[in-house]
Amino acid sequence: MKKPSLFMIPAMILFVVAVMVSCLNDDPDPPHTTIPYELPVIEGFPKNLNIPEDNPLTEEGVKLGRYLFHDGRLSGRLHPDSLMSCATCHVQEKGFEAGIDHPKFKGGQPVGIPSEEYPQGKPTPHFMLPTINLVYNHNGYLWNGSVHETNEELGSPEYGVPADPAFHRKSVEAFAWMAIVAPHEINGDLEKTVETIENIPIYPPMFEAAYGSPEVSIEKISKSIAQYVRTIVSYRSKYHQWLRGEAELTPAEQRGYDLFFSETADCFHCHSGVLLTTNQFYNNAKDSVFDGIGDRYSVTKKPWDLGAFRAPSLINCEITAPYMHDGRFKTLEEVVDFYSEGLVSSDYVHPLMKGVSKGGVRLDPQEKSDLIAFLKTFTDHALLEDPAYSKPSDLHFDR
Amino acid sequence: MKSNKKGQWINNVSRVGSLLGVCLAMMLIVSCNDDDDDPLPPAGGKLMIRFEHHVSGQPVTFNDMKYVNAAGNPFEVTDIQWFISDITLHKADGSSEVLEGDGTGDFVHYIDTGIPSTLTWEKEDTLQAGKYTGIAMTFGLKGPKNLRNYFTDPPESDMEWPAPLGGDQGGYHYMKLNGFWLDLQQKREAFNFHLGVGPKKDNQGNTLFVQNWFETMLPNSSFEMESDETKEIVIVMNIENWFHDPNLYDFNEVGAGIMNNQDAQQLAKENGNNVFSIGSIKSHVQQ
Repeated sequence: MKKPSLFMIPAMILFVVAVMVSCLNDDPDPPHTTIPYELPVIEGFPKNLNIPEDNPLTEEGVKLGRYLFHDGRLSGRLHPDSLMSCATCHVQEKGFEAGIDHPKFKGGQPVGIPSEEYPQGKPTPHFMLPTINLVYNHNGYLWNGSVHETNEELGSPEYGVPADPAFHRKSVEAFAWMAIVAPHEINGDLEKTVETIENIPIYPPMFEAAYGSPEVSIEKISKSIAQYVRTIVSYRSKYHQWLRGEAELTPAEQRGYDLFFSETADCFHCHSGVLLTTNQFYNNAKDSVFDGIGDRYSVTKKPWDLGAFRAPSLINCEITAPYMHDGRFKTLEEVVDFYSEGLVSSDYVHPLMKGVSKGGVRLDPQEKSDLIAFLKTFTDHALLEDPAYSKPSDLHFDR
Repeated sequence: MKSNKKGQWINNVSRVGSLLGVCLAMMLIVSCNDDDDDPLPPAGGKLMIRFEHHVSGQPVTFNDMKYVNAAGNPFEVTDIQWFISDITLHKADGSSEVLEGDGTGDFVHYIDTGIPSTLTWEKEDTLQAGKYTGIAMTFGLKGPKNLRNYFTDPPESDMEWPAPLGGDQGGYHYMKLNGFWLDLQQKREAFNFHLGVGPKKDNQGNTLFVQNWFETMLPNSSFEMESDETKEIVIVMNIENWFHDPNLYDFNEVGAGIMNNQDAQQLAKENGNNVFSIGSIKSHVQQ
């Protein structure tokens, strides 16, 4: 019989002890798990997604965000006249804008919840930008790009939001708390919103599912809404289908396409690619006098950014009137007329705006008609009707 | 019996222990062998390329109508975006090395005067020490790099050159050089000096799409790479040279945009051979 080598016995004991210790260290509570949310992978669309490392998309977080986005009690109030949510202004069937025929906001310009100071509600200082395809944008948000990942601005002390890193102004997450405190939007306060949401029975379990704890906080509210907003992607318009070989353009649309992507009309330099925007900022020759308020200059302080605003995506432009940052144009026809004959010269016009000295690119009536026919191929009907983005059917406090 | 069972148990434990011991020893041996097989890194240094944009030998001042081109057009520059690709380093022994790209295979670098990080490119691994006789580059994009969806992320994807101007496969601007010039009436007019694929009609009236990228050997670009140094090479775009030699380029004749004007792009392409130069080649000792 072979003798055991004695030095192996302590080694085995150590091995067994190690196994036992590792078993003892097992946490009796299983770790909180969530299901990753998979965004569709679309040919030709950006692969570099703007999703912060500390807020990955999860099925649970997106679901919670969808409820909060549509729940008027996000305002921190329960009176029917004081309900307001993201969806009050960002209306799905209007391409996540208010729309010029919004029942509450005359001409499509939102106003905040009325207060003593603003009995009629304070109008927003700008018109709407849609909450679509933000997951593909790395160039800041809002008309002037002031919410940007390099922005060091914190909180809104004037509205009781401390200058704390939790209240940064860097990403989509910031929009929830900014909207809650802004006088021209929800015009509320964060504590009331948190208190209201945590007392609505459906929410604590949803927070637990998303974050492992039923505790409600403004940070979690912001993250959830941001997650949901990042799932709103538009890629099913007739134009996008045509790019993928799934649809045909009519002759008028085809002529409009040729014009759009020509140096005659020259729309494509600012409204390029599958997103139909570069997300850059341009002075597009609307005015000759500038006050430097709310424009790109207000962010960069560079003189050539006076009067410059973000080129918005043209997706759904058929239904997102009024147009421009100040909503000055009510129809697509007015917009096309402006670029054709209405440009105003100044020292700050972007050089991509050719033909300013002639007033514009000078399109004839047929060209204008063709161009508008093509612009209407950008309408993403599938997005506007997609139940994945609609108000949850069991949510009875909307707007 | 008890004694036999105990002996059996000890024997089993001993066998398992021996097996573990053998495994551990094997792992150590294999791991030691791996270490021994690691080749020494080749002697070489770091390569950094910086891109500058000059007018008349000085860094361009943007948004300032203070320059005059060879045709006498006062002009200013607002912004430049362009692609450099296939940078090739020629060696003294007659061989050459094409720099590798950032994960896409071929070397392509996007340069944007509005994005400071694009004005510098660094080679990820070391460049072999030795004598290099010259640097060649391609202005623009050629082959599969100039087909739709090669770039899907901005800012590169914003350089899209649309199909109606570039053929079914589309492509990308090689360069957007934007600015203003004063016309004959002293009116400030915008120019978009954009180069890429130019459409041109043949004798039968068919539209041909001409690729306008070009390769150029940078003058005075020889250098010697030594081990453990960083070689900083500055490539300069001499902007005013786009507008002369051999072809006089007059904004008043050519107009604001030239994407649909292959004749104008051809003038620019031929002038391009004198546009790029070496600003400096400096050595820095690595810390």
